Amino acid sequence: MLKNDKLSKKTRMNGFFWILPAFLFLVIIIYYSIFYTFNLSTIEWDGLSPVMERVGFDNFAKMFKDKVFWKCIQNTIIYFAITFVIQNFLGFIFAAILHSDVKLPTVHKCLIFIPTILAPSTMAPVFRLMFSPQGMLQSFFTKAGIPITVDWLSKPNTALFVLMAVVIWEFTGMSFILYYAAMSQIDREVLEAAQIDGAGELRILWTMVFPFCKGTTVSLAMLGVIGALKTFDIPYLITTGGPNHATEFLGTYIYRQGIRQSHLGYAAALSVMLLVMAVVGAFLTNRANKGDS
Amino acid sequence: MKARKTKLMALLLTTSVVLAACGDAGTGSGNGNDAASGQTAPAAGDTAGTASGAADLVWWGWTPGSPLNEQYIAKFNETYPDVRITWKQTTVDDYDAAIKPALANGEGVDIFEVSAGSANGGVQIFGSKAIDLTDALKGYLGDDYADKLNEASLASMTVDGQIKALGVGTCYAGNLWINQDLFDQYNVKVPTNMAEWKEACATFEANGIIGFVQGAGQGAFNMDTWHAICDNVKPGEFTKATRGEAEWTDETFVTALNLWKSLFDEGIMQDGALGIQQYPEANNLFLSGQAAMIMMGSWYTMNCLPDTMRANMEAASSTDEPFAMVPINFPDIAGTGNVGYVFCDIDYATAVSTSAKDQKAATDFALWLGASEEGQQMIADSLNLVPVLKSVSPNWDNVTLVNGEKQNDAVQAYLTNAVNNPDNPRFGGIGADLNQAMMDVLAGVASGTMTAEEGVAHLAEVQAEQ
Repeated sequence: MLKNDKLSKKTRMNGFFWILPAFLFLVIIIYYSIFYTFNLSTIEWDGLSPVMERVGFDNFAKMFKDKVFWKCIQNTIIYFAITFVIQNFLGFIFAAILHSDVKLPTVHKCLIFIPTILAPSTMAPVFRLMFSPQGMLQSFFTKAGIPITVDWLSKPNTALFVLMAVVIWEFTGMSFILYYAAMSQIDREVLEAAQIDGAGELRILWTMVFPFCKGTTVSLAMLGVIGALKTFDIPYLITTGGPNHATEFLGTYIYRQGIRQSHLGYAAALSVMLLVMAVVGAFLTNRANKGDS
Repeated sequence: MKARKTKLMALLLTTSVVLAACGDAGTGSGNGNDAASGQTAPAAGDTAGTASGAADLVWWGWTPGSPLNEQYIAKFNETYPDVRITWKQTTVDDYDAAIKPALANGEGVDIFEVSAGSANGGVQIFGSKAIDLTDALKGYLGDDYADKLNEASLASMTVDGQIKALGVGTCYAGNLWINQDLFDQYNVKVPTNMAEWKEACATFEANGIIGFVQGAGQGAFNMDTWHAICDNVKPGEFTKATRGEAEWTDETFVTALNLWKSLFDEGIMQDGALGIQQYPEANNLFLSGQAAMIMMGSWYTMNCLPDTMRANMEAASSTDEPFAMVPINFPDIAGTGNVGYVFCDIDYATAVSTSAKDQKAATDFALWLGASEEGQQMIADSLNLVPVLKSVSPNWDNVTLVNGEKQNDAVQAYLTNAVNNPDNPRFGGIGADLNQAMMDVLAGVASGTMTAEEGVAHLAEVQAEQ
């Protein structure tokens, strides 16, 4: 027994040497950066000046009083709630449809998934043009005689919804692929048995297929929470966070504070908060998953 | 034996990773220490390196852009053939993000553009990575160098008593540019007040053309328009407020914010103005002939040159022939009669990086561009900026405009009026926080989420915190 333990310890030591490069890489690059950011959050600094002022937790206190910070949180919650529900609903439905006898399934899969692999930086100018009052959508409405003015990006109460539409268009493919893979694991005989017992298509979908895909839904929720907190490219490239912070997210606000206004310490405090929220969000969704299972 | 070998290999691999990481960290910390210790860079003449030999430099900036920058370099190389300069351009919005890490790392930046105040590349921030050019300038222009240069070029580029960059040219804002050909075609009166402006916009609108275009999603240009409105209401009050000599809560600014809002409500600003950017969208609409008026400053004068305009029109996806664009005063929308006021800053200045590979050669370039007759004449003739060297002005005999008959007098009168305007900085006196607050207030008032009174209160609050 003692010998076995000794062997096991030896094996563990051998394993330790093998993971050491990756471990050091992780510690140096990631954890060092996190601690550096935390240290930076207690400093008032423009990023270049030799003068750094230690301000303790002032940047965090300032953050909680900052209306734009709370606007970012509000936008993130709305954005996550709406994009998560619609994106996954569409992804689930598309996956279910493509598991039935659809003609040209590969073509449909490609069409649904292609937006996911397109870079937001490539698509942003297209959407800016599309949603411009002089753009393609306006031309279509004008030609069709529909009295709608496409000035949605210029209005604080509609700009966020335009961005959400873009995100849903772009990432529904991801939900679709994951649900499609999850549905492939379901034993068809179980579904056939339900059909024989008289269950309708919708009932099977809702009471059997959807619960089976719950793990996928939770994973998508976790990715969605982290994605919503990290949102930067689409709002920055399409609206630059405007008008008047109506589409501001933590990512764009960190950039604005750190780069545009050279408040590197405050930007670091916002980054620390983002990290905390991402970890808590991931932890909660993970717990929900474990609880369910 | 085999296990020991494997362990040894793992250890070697680990050691190499650690050493590599330490090597990188060492470099970084070295640079950081330079900054942290606040060491001053040696004067240009003291620099080691290939001062009189070949040099290979990188010049970072956002303006005026190709092909002008390459033309400046080519002209510089006629005098300094051994100095190779590569122009590295970013967009206005991305400049700070791109150059800050490059300067912090101390590699790859030899010469870089800075601007006054809170605009991108603000010298107050980036000046800490630039050498002091005072002695070099003194050596080049003599002890009376200050008399030979535009006052703002020195004042706005001096940080803690050191000249951190040499101004290249000033730019003026506060006026509109109009497409004179469209005005002639539709027989529209050039607007001088609110009623005429509305009428002009309505006429163009009826003919499928945007009357006035502004990319109000890009806050800096909103600040220009509002500054012009403030000067229209009460000249000079805006500048006084930025200097703390007047209150933002004064009635002048409430009136000016209400007038700003009225541009959106009265059909002068195009639909969806807050959703588009001045560059590229508004600029493209104007240059492609889809809009008749735009709020731009003296930097737009270069589009009066046929080749420059053609290139910029092509960039705006227009294959039309260049048109006659003319500067006009900001209309008297307050009804006060106060018109013709413009405000100015050094558009950009050339700084030499503390980590430049060859500071002597880099300084030579900065001096050539900002203080030599040859360099400044080139700046003047490109009509991009008004030169900072007082002895230089555009050589109108060498300058051919798109339509001399329509443009010559107007452009010359505009530039003469601009240089004779009183002290009225554009962004030079505005800190980064006030700048952001002003952009927020203008967008908030325009979109109706903030009243004029709330707006001025916010400006006053931010000013007090600065």
